[in-house]
Amino acid sequence: MNGYAGKILNLDLNNRKITTIPTSKYEQWVGGHGMGSAIFFDLVKDKTIDGFDPANVVTLMTSPLSGTLVPAASGRTEVQGIGVQSYPIGWFTRSNFGGRFSTMLKFAGWDGIVIEGKADKPVWIDIRNGDVKIRDCTPLSLWGKDTWECQETIWDYVAGSGEYGDWIKTGANGERTTQRSAVLAIGPAGENLSRMACLIHDASNGSGQGGFGAVWGSKRLKAISVIGTGSIRVNNPKALIEARLWQKKNYAFNFDNLKKRWQSTEFQSPPIPITLYRLGRPLTGQRPQACVGCHSGCRGRYEDGVGNESTCFTSLFYLYAKTLDIQREACDLLNRYGLNAAEMFWGELYLGDLYRSGVLGPGKEIDCPLNFKNYGDLEFAERLVKAIAYRNDGRGNTHQFGDDLAEGFVRAAEKWGRLAGDKGDLKTGRLMFPHWGLPRHKEARSQLDWAYGTILGDRDINEHDFDQLRIDPSTAKRYKFKPYAPAEEVVKIYTDKMEPFQGDMLMLDFSTENMYSEHIAKLVTWHRYYTRFWKQSTQFCDWRWPDFLNLYGPGKVGSTGIAEPKFLNAVTGKNFTFLDGIELGRKIWNLDHAVWTLQGRHRDMVHFADYFYTKRSFTLDGQPEYMPGRKNGRWTYIKTLGRHFDKDRFEEFKTRFYKLQGWDTATGYPNRGTLESLGLGYVADELEKNGRIGKKR
Amino acid sequence: MNDRVDKKRKDREKEISRRDFLKYTGTVVLVVGSGCYVAADKGSPKLIKVKEGGAGLPASEGYILVDIKKCQGCTSCMLACSLVHEGVESHSLSRIQVIQNSFESFPDDVTIEQCRQCVDPACFKVCPEDALKTNAKYGNVRMVDRDKCTGCGECVEACPYTPSRPIVVSDEDYKGDMKSRKCDLCANTPYHWDQAGGGPNGKQACVEVCPVGAIKFTKEIPAQEGDDGYKVNLRDRNWRRLGYPIS
Repeated sequence: MNGYAGKILNLDLNNRKITTIPTSKYEQWVGGHGMGSAIFFDLVKDKTIDGFDPANVVTLMTSPLSGTLVPAASGRTEVQGIGVQSYPIGWFTRSNFGGRFSTMLKFAGWDGIVIEGKADKPVWIDIRNGDVKIRDCTPLSLWGKDTWECQETIWDYVAGSGEYGDWIKTGANGERTTQRSAVLAIGPAGENLSRMACLIHDASNGSGQGGFGAVWGSKRLKAISVIGTGSIRVNNPKALIEARLWQKKNYAFNFDNLKKRWQSTEFQSPPIPITLYRLGRPLTGQRPQACVGCHSGCRGRYEDGVGNESTCFTSLFYLYAKTLDIQREACDLLNRYGLNAAEMFWGELYLGDLYRSGVLGPGKEIDCPLNFKNYGDLEFAERLVKAIAYRNDGRGNTHQFGDDLAEGFVRAAEKWGRLAGDKGDLKTGRLMFPHWGLPRHKEARSQLDWAYGTILGDRDINEHDFDQLRIDPSTAKRYKFKPYAPAEEVVKIYTDKMEPFQGDMLMLDFSTENMYSEHIAKLVTWHRYYTRFWKQSTQFCDWRWPDFLNLYGPGKVGSTGIAEPKFLNAVTGKNFTFLDGIELGRKIWNLDHAVWTLQGRHRDMVHFADYFYTKRSFTLDGQPEYMPGRKNGRWTYIKTLGRHFDKDRFEEFKTRFYKLQGWDTATGYPNRGTLESLGLGYVADELEKNGRIGKKR
Repeated sequence: MNDRVDKKRKDREKEISRRDFLKYTGTVVLVVGSGCYVAADKGSPKLIKVKEGGAGLPASEGYILVDIKKCQGCTSCMLACSLVHEGVESHSLSRIQVIQNSFESFPDDVTIEQCRQCVDPACFKVCPEDALKTNAKYGNVRMVDRDKCTGCGECVEACPYTPSRPIVVSDEDYKGDMKSRKCDLCANTPYHWDQAGGGPNGKQACVEVCPVGAIKFTKEIPAQEGDDGYKVNLRDRNWRRLGYPIS
């Protein structure tokens, strides 16, 4: 099995039993998310259990591309299981993180890890190639440590008498490496079951969504450390390195011919930290830092060691910190205590709003121990983070405030009575958590792929596949430069690649008139299938793929469609086409949807928060957004802010979407015929047994 | 890197300094005692004095230089190295090692340690099987004759640098026997992508793959004393334009 280690590690924490699953059993799913969903479906008999139930299974899956030279695909790890963050149901969900973990796991001889049960006391997992131990946390005093201290303590333990900087012997057979073990750990937030607790690896690789930090905490699992000295066999080594150099020469940034010099998530982007600090990028000495095998690092490490590797939402948290350095230090707090940056960012703004309106504060309607006179200081951020991580007042004293917030901002707001009535905070939009109790990300009323993908799925999709369509024209208008290409040309480049719907340019018409059309249903469908397979199963990185429009490519045409199968086939020897991947993505999407259906999903539940139907879209900085669309029958970049969804028309859209999927349009349940055509007859059986199989209408 | 490793490095470098053969940037080797000169580059001959060069090895016609302040820590060089040499992806089989610490401050968070193709390689002197050789076909690059190598590990121990540049690993081509490997500038690469192959006159996988240009090939012999000859500044105006320091 080229590209695979050949076996999956199965940890039964109930009985401290370690077994293996042959990867070949799940090879039809290729890797990552597909494998994780299939394993979850097989092992979790009752899909209606809560995420904190010991019977919940968490999978950490690599892909055949992990640990290989495939650019921006080698370093990701897919995390799945029943989450505890979303509302009202903790959906079966996914998260994903970068760094070195998946590479190390493969080099240690494992394609993934399956975690079952709950340990009788806090444990950590010590993986050194085939030697796996479930160790108590007590000897190293790991329980209670923050994520960074935990990792460093484990590094020292694994090194034994060795010294980093030299070769380290990792096992009895003399295996050696110069690398530190890759550790994935929870912080105090996970230990104390905060629903917004993350898994953290190295400085700032976070598996944030789903609250898997809390799930680990409930299983009394503090960390998994893995060191691997082995290798991964590649089907055609020469083809792999040729493909890498082809990609570098034709599609990656060229220092002598830089097309742009600012941060972006595009494949062609040069390596620049994607930090979003309010006061700009730190000017201190720094380097870019990349996941294993990536051609273009998106993180930085700094001369003062502050904010190392933090990006995106992590670097947005505590937006109104008094200084840039304070905001950077606040990033580190999130990483050390292990909290979800997106929820903390929007939640902190919500608290400030409630404080300013006199609702929240010491002795107020919502009794809050934080001193807002210190707002902007590091002390304020630290106390907020600690209050949520420890469920107290942030200074070690019992307090309801931290306990409430540890349940997540929507559940806290509900407890505080802030969601009830016509003026509830999810009706007015004061609490900007528009889908499944999860925080806003992009302005989804503007960027439709984001809105629909999220509400028809399980989480904020966090898939940047079409961001270029918004960011490039919006910044071009703002700063008065030419966009990459006219809207029609861009849309053609994109839609030509979107098999099996290629050529339907109306898929990328983001005008209000087209918001609920069959074309947009196809866009969302393609997006679900592409990401389920090519991004989350083979694990091409969300920030560098797909490569639709590329200024280095011939005619500005990027490599997507050609590159993905070229790399996968070079590594595995499979004969996958791009469309094969899309089709397998469809199967995985159907499997996931079946699990949600078993958990209790019905089409009537599939709705945005009320404010998405009444309040107009906007951006925090007040800047307009532009996306491709038709105006008077002609393609142009149109303004997409200032609109909201129409509830009835969204119902029409759902019907179109369900029909396209082959699902029951009345309930949203999957139909047997659809599942059987995908080889998922056994899934249909389980749905039928539970009275949740769709009817053909 | 930690103090102990630093001390080990400094001790070894002092030792080499005592032997007084590691301080030259020229391209002709003078072997003291044997009285012979070895021309390594006819273009700009300079004298290199080797006090105890033993067999009087001709200098390699190629060297790998790295910029540890430019490296983005992706380890693509390591993956490329193991791929072209062994046909597999591995960090432990790589002849070039990137070592990093996510929590450390720039620039101490990353180092790259590559084989120096030493003018007077300590590993050669200790090999009991005479398995380490210069290869004239490949510009005198220092290579392992695996047929002769017994995997004893003397070369690993003798390498004055940390981590040691030669590695000894189980070799499938020899029924799993332990064999030494070291950087050969991609001379012996069964999976090389270029028909012309590697070596000093070909292409080196780590150089070609590095996304940011933090690894460079040169035919000039680097200063042998200390690290400055091998750990260099490859940052230029383009790097500065992206917001990174170049000094």
